[in-house]
Amino acid sequence: MSVLSKLKETLVCLKAGRVTLPYPAQAQPVPEKFRGRPLFDAAKCTGCGGCANNCPAREILLFDLCQEIRILQYLGRRCAYCGRCADVCPEKAITMSHEFETGTNSIGDIQQRVELFMSTCQRCGRCFKEPSALEQLKLKGYRVDDVAHERWVFRSKSYLDTEPVVDDIKIEMD
Amino acid sequence: MVAREKLNQLKEKFGGAVQRADMPCNERLFVFVEASALKAVCQYLFRDLDARYVISIGMDDRPFSGKFMVAHDFAFDQDHLLCSVLTHLPADNPKVDSISDVVPAANWAEREIRDLVGIEPVGHRYLKRLVLPDGWPDGVHPLRKDFAWNQVPEGYDDTREFKFDEPPEGCTVVPFGPFHPTLDEPAHFRLYIEGEMVRGCEYRGFMVHRGIEKLAESVLTYNEIPMMAERICGICGCVHNVAYAQAVESAAAIKPPPRAEYIRTIMLEIERLHSHLLWVGLACHIVGFDTLFMQSWRIREPLMWIAEKISGNRKTYALCVIGGVRWDITAEVKGELRKVLDKLESEWTPVVAAVSKDKNIQKRTRGIGVADRALVKNAGLVGPVARSAGVNMDCRRDHPYAAYDRLDFDVITENGCDVWSRVLVRAKEVFESIKIIRQCLEKMEDGPLQLTIKDELPVGRIGLSSVEAPRGESHHFVITGENNRPRRWRVRAPTYQNLQAIPAMIKDQQLADMTISLGSIDPCFSCTDRMETIDLKSGATKVWTQEELLKLTRTKKT
Ligand code: SF4
Ligand code: SF4
Repeated sequence: MSVLSKLKETLVCLKAGRVTLPYPAQAQPVPEKFRGRPLFDAAKCTGCGGCANNCPAREILLFDLCQEIRILQYLGRRCAYCGRCADVCPEKAITMSHEFETGTNSIGDIQQRVELFMSTCQRCGRCFKEPSALEQLKLKGYRVDDVAHERWVFRSKSYLDTEPVVDDIKIEMD
Repeated sequence: MVAREKLNQLKEKFGGAVQRADMPCNERLFVFVEASALKAVCQYLFRDLDARYVISIGMDDRPFSGKFMVAHDFAFDQDHLLCSVLTHLPADNPKVDSISDVVPAANWAEREIRDLVGIEPVGHRYLKRLVLPDGWPDGVHPLRKDFAWNQVPEGYDDTREFKFDEPPEGCTVVPFGPFHPTLDEPAHFRLYIEGEMVRGCEYRGFMVHRGIEKLAESVLTYNEIPMMAERICGICGCVHNVAYAQAVESAAAIKPPPRAEYIRTIMLEIERLHSHLLWVGLACHIVGFDTLFMQSWRIREPLMWIAEKISGNRKTYALCVIGGVRWDITAEVKGELRKVLDKLESEWTPVVAAVSKDKNIQKRTRGIGVADRALVKNAGLVGPVARSAGVNMDCRRDHPYAAYDRLDFDVITENGCDVWSRVLVRAKEVFESIKIIRQCLEKMEDGPLQLTIKDELPVGRIGLSSVEAPRGESHHFVITGENNRPRRWRVRAPTYQNLQAIPAMIKDQQLADMTISLGSIDPCFSCTDRMETIDLKSGATKVWTQEELLKLTRTKKT
């Protein structure tokens, strides 16, 4: 038996004392830069689509109801809390909040839906000022994500039609 | 000019079979050879020039060159050179000579190429399915470009069973996994047991294959991939994040600003520190020494907090974009990080002093899970497993990236070849990492965090990057492509090579040592997906269903 090392190990434990935090009975503050659930500010958002185009988890859907109304929907399902949406937003309309206990039995609690009145041209997508060439909009024009089924559609259109989109695999930039 | 030297050697030996070569810089060499000479070239590199095998990559290049492609990556560690041998194969019925009889480490990689890209390695001795699930139809290859990312293959058969090999005579089969307390992911080992002794095993894994590479090649864009790359691994996520960014940067000849390089280095070392402390704790837990498990996790905790402070999260730092980093290390954080390191050092020193003399731990780990130099070479083992066999190899020094070329540190090696040596290597590497971070804080210069990238990245360039993860070399291979995303991105995590050596490492040792041998290469545990509570008064048991558990975790109420 290595008594000496056992004694040394005991000393390590004794010196440490009790360290367990009383979470979740008592909430712990998070640091300033913490990346929690993104919150969308409908008053600031211009609907440029930059966040939706650069979200790695495809958590943000866009649907153009008509020329003037664009729906932006945050799904809150598989968000990676990476904060890229907040990074690229030219209007600073997204904040990474300090909320992290987002477990819920009804997804509606975390989903967000913003209905936007579009005064700028939706077709060019130019109102999104990309930070670098790697964030540029690849899907320009009208967006037709499948909001009802929470599915990103890899397609954008230069005109609005009512046909449902099939064959959404190819990226079309017309 | 090592790259040129190697190329000349190849040209001299193989003449016209070497079709074309690229040397974008002194540390990289891409050689295109005739398919018929591929095996001989690999054998020459691996056996005669003593290169280390890294990984093989299969590609569907039909939309661009009308051909399939195979690449074998090798590393010359002493010469600081990463080398890729590529060959083109015909579009229909692609076949390539298997190199696994001369380079045994290529065993899995070639089976994976066959599964995912459908290139047949001719002469491979054990062509069993490796990556695809049991019910996946034959002849459908998900990494081919004509297979859509969201396609469900026709003829998927849930009921199809995997055919396991017959155990050797006199052996009984003991299943280990798919869910086992010492496995961090579901993986299945069928151990062949004779009495108490393990005589061999068959492995069936890849149960959590998520198709991240396919997503990257068909859905994501360059700057989205880093955030997904770090989700490849829950422990060394930042490694994949940085390795991917570096691979793309090396393909597109982008050099991130110096401050970004220092910050990458610091975050990688913070990650190594937390991972090593976590691993030492878990290794102690596996051998039944929970006191130290608790203590090393306690010592580790401040590292998680400082990482959270810097990046906004304890893990998944979301650190890199192409050409830089997203988070700065401010003067305030610098001071705090220094304090965390001082505390860590003062707490870790007595632990190492105690553990290194602890006979109980040594009894469970000495002479167990042996991987000697020959196995390291033949199976392509990396990281602490290689260093515990006296192989002096560390990508931070051998293939310097980020700011490592400006830092001074030692590579720790041991000669025991066993689990005990791996404990020592990791315990001592903690001090090296502390040293590295301190130097970074000292030397870090002011300046921008990101390079502004004005143009789209060039198409069809190859980039390689090797990053020393806590468990060994993580290697990323990238070919840049159209539509703001790579054509091909192949990730080789260190466990991919290390796990292949497990059958050799556990052979002819006791069944009870299986867990620590396995634990010695890969440091995570899994949580079980249901639990059982016992009412102490009545002794009644209640098994929780998945739904009840979900509800419990979400509402914190029963
Ligand atoms: S935090 Fe990341 S994953 Fe979540 S919505 Fe924003 S960009 Fe998407
Ligand atoms: S990037 Fe900002 S302004 Fe543009 S759609 Fe998203 S939230 Fe709105």
